[in-house]
Amino acid sequence: MERLNLSRLQADEISAHAAACVSGAPPPCARECPFGLDVRSFISKAEKGRWQAAYKTYRDAVVFPEIVSRLCPAPCSGACARTDAGGAIDLGGLERAVVSLTRDKRRDGYAIPQKSGTAAVVGAGPSGLSAALSLALKRYDVTVFERESSWGGSLRSHAEFGAFDAEFSQSFASLGAEFQFGREISSLAELSGFGAIYLATGSGGEAFGLLAGLDLESLATSDPRVFLGGGLTGAELMDAIAHGRAAARSLESFFQIGKAPPAARAPVCSWTPDTSEIEAAPRVAPADPSGAFTDIEARAEAARCLKCDCDVCLQGCEMLRRFHKLPMKIASEVFTDIHANPPYSSHTLTREAYSCSDCGHCKRRCPESIDVGELLRLSRRARVESGAAPPALHDYWLREMRFSSDGAAFYSACNEKGSCEYVFFPGCQLGAYDPRHVSLSLAALRKNYDAGVFLGCCGAPAYWAGDDAALEENSALIRRAWSELGEPVFVLACMTCEKLFSDLFPEIECVSLYEMLAAMDCEQAACNLNCAPTARPTADLPRNGNLECDTRLHNALPEADPAVREAYMESTRASPVRAPGRSLYFQSAAIFDPCSAAEDERVRESVRALASRSGVALSELSESGKCCGYGGNIRLANPSLYEEIGSNRAAASELPYIVYCANCRAVFAARDKQCAHILDIAFGLAPAEIPDIDTRRRNSLEVKRLISQEFSSGSAVFPKAEPWEDISLIIAPDVAERVDRKLISLSDIREALYLARESGAYFEASDGTRQCSMARPALVYWVRYRLSPGGTYEVLDAYYHRMKFEGA
Amino acid sequence: MEAVKPEENWLCGKCNVTLETKKTVFSYLGRSFTHDVDVCPKCGAVLIPRELAEGRMAEVEEQLEDK
Repeated sequence: MERLNLSRLQADEISAHAAACVSGAPPPCARECPFGLDVRSFISKAEKGRWQAAYKTYRDAVVFPEIVSRLCPAPCSGACARTDAGGAIDLGGLERAVVSLTRDKRRDGYAIPQKSGTAAVVGAGPSGLSAALSLALKRYDVTVFERESSWGGSLRSHAEFGAFDAEFSQSFASLGAEFQFGREISSLAELSGFGAIYLATGSGGEAFGLLAGLDLESLATSDPRVFLGGGLTGAELMDAIAHGRAAARSLESFFQIGKAPPAARAPVCSWTPDTSEIEAAPRVAPADPSGAFTDIEARAEAARCLKCDCDVCLQGCEMLRRFHKLPMKIASEVFTDIHANPPYSSHTLTREAYSCSDCGHCKRRCPESIDVGELLRLSRRARVESGAAPPALHDYWLREMRFSSDGAAFYSACNEKGSCEYVFFPGCQLGAYDPRHVSLSLAALRKNYDAGVFLGCCGAPAYWAGDDAALEENSALIRRAWSELGEPVFVLACMTCEKLFSDLFPEIECVSLYEMLAAMDCEQAACNLNCAPTARPTADLPRNGNLECDTRLHNALPEADPAVREAYMESTRASPVRAPGRSLYFQSAAIFDPCSAAEDERVRESVRALASRSGVALSELSESGKCCGYGGNIRLANPSLYEEIGSNRAAASELPYIVYCANCRAVFAARDKQCAHILDIAFGLAPAEIPDIDTRRRNSLEVKRLISQEFSSGSAVFPKAEPWEDISLIIAPDVAERVDRKLISLSDIREALYLARESGAYFEASDGTRQCSMARPALVYWVRYRLSPGGTYEVLDAYYHRMKFEGA
Repeated sequence: MEAVKPEENWLCGKCNVTLETKKTVFSYLGRSFTHDVDVCPKCGAVLIPRELAEGRMAEVEEQLEDK
């Protein structure tokens, strides 16, 4: 992972993460417009009947609304996203309607001081007049030279010239532009008294030898004070008028800084909206035979506009919708947050930074692949580095990680030589939720491969907390084990592990457990355990044909320890193994892919292959790759968002889910969503109940105990027994559930009770109820209890707060 | 923060004296403030009821985290 000095990150380094965002960029229609009209703004005003406001927006862009609205061939129509959903918006018709429905077309009278630049415009055609008007409005001294006796150029012969002539007159009325008609310029030396010149002599007009060096964007020529555009360059009418406005900008820049403006940094944007689900809305047909819209018709036509703007990240993510911020805004807040200097400035992004599941869905939807999760994780990392992270938000998971990487950790090559070709890394949760998943997977792998085992944690809690130091410590353990085991291929059962391994350990080759199991092709999943593929299943997983095999599930069980074997036989007897080719639980189900598998097609296919073998009719969710809510460990930072996401995912299909992430299963089980892990399906197991926190820890230790007994003669080191472990508790189911939901373990409760018993520090009410507390670095725990006869504690309640009290 | 009145008459287990309502200093994320809570007048032990911990205290914690 890239090392950053977070406190020194500069604004441009952070905004670079979101710089490619196309939100707010011109929509497809505006990209075709010669004037770059802000179509979204124009049409929003028209939709509301704000004709004068729409007219001003239009006039600011096109300079001469009367001419442009009547003569523009509307190239925008060809790019309209509505085309296949009722027909392109009649933007030309709307422009004419806005011009005709606006009663007061006078300009606002701003008191702009006279500027010092003097401009000569050669040619009083549409382009020259466009430049002259734009400069005059900015109060530059403008003189227009025209060899003919009046203005209009190529428009003079147009049937509607009367209207155009009136627009010219009205536009220049009360402005100080000077017109010299009947004056032909034969040499630029005649204009030596002017600061800058715009040549707009029309098609075939005089260019004074400057056409060759023309820059079509700024209209600058080889003579720094001369600019050139319009019909002279071969431009059509609309482009010629747009040239006039562009030339005015260049002349102004020349007056101010002595050269044309730098090239505009408009984003190169090819984004087009997804209109596949847009409801068709037919074009509004004007009742008037002339084709002119009435007020009501124009508003209705404007209302058809989709106002295309990219917000796909926002639409696809509950978190972004809730905070309603686009990537650039978030990037700017990440920067200000990193550089916050309390009490003069403050953090503003905390809740949001800690509410992101880091699932990558925004990145996958974004046309520019912007990853908001990466930005927000940057913020989390910077907070931890500067000491500004609220420790309570991730304390629980960091403690669990330490437990998994320490007390519950174990690795072995499972053979005499001490090295192995593969090592099964189930991750911290698989065995915690169901020890059978680890034992049976390991047995299946060992039947076919030189496979060892490594019980530990990939570091996801530290990764999500932004705790780089804790992550590095955990990573060092993994690298050491990998090295000691002879650099084996890691077989991963958790997609979050896969994501982190590819990010943190590019040197370690990995393969998914589900790919390995799917490669063991057989009619019965249980028989997988005896089927031997012929090649190493990393690059191209081989299929080993239709092996005839009647192996029973119990053949996969660890053979060394009869007691263990018997225990597993007992558990499988309690939940019968399904008949070959038939699903024990579901006739039909939807596969819920964890977000971390969204970019791993092979794993998704393997899981589907495993599930299909069980005879379940599989359905696909309409949208996959979204987080179940667990990702990023947002639960304590934003409980209501966590609930919303989990409920939305559970409701995405009425079918039961098959998952391949232990956390997804826990999230859905908590919502009573029928759900099985793919390993339940593959091994024919009845899904286990979701264990509470303490049972999960015990399960992790039990997996370690079983495996270490088998493969290391019991030499593994286990956490020493704590003095409070013997405390006997009675806790009502509803209290136990509430406490577990708050992520308070019974071990925490026992420890608090032990400390109270040893120190005598507790409170007692008149009815005998007692209450004690235990301060930990991130939280202060409270337990309300009663002492029962025989020294048993009846736990009535447990809760915590994050504040510390410092005395009265 | 508003004071939460104790529903029970609590005794300090260590000192065997009835708790009294006193201003107590709380701190979180580098900020300190005072609030009336039940305290043992002898050893200074503080009792925080659930309603306070999960009510107003949680609100203030969230506000401070968001600053």
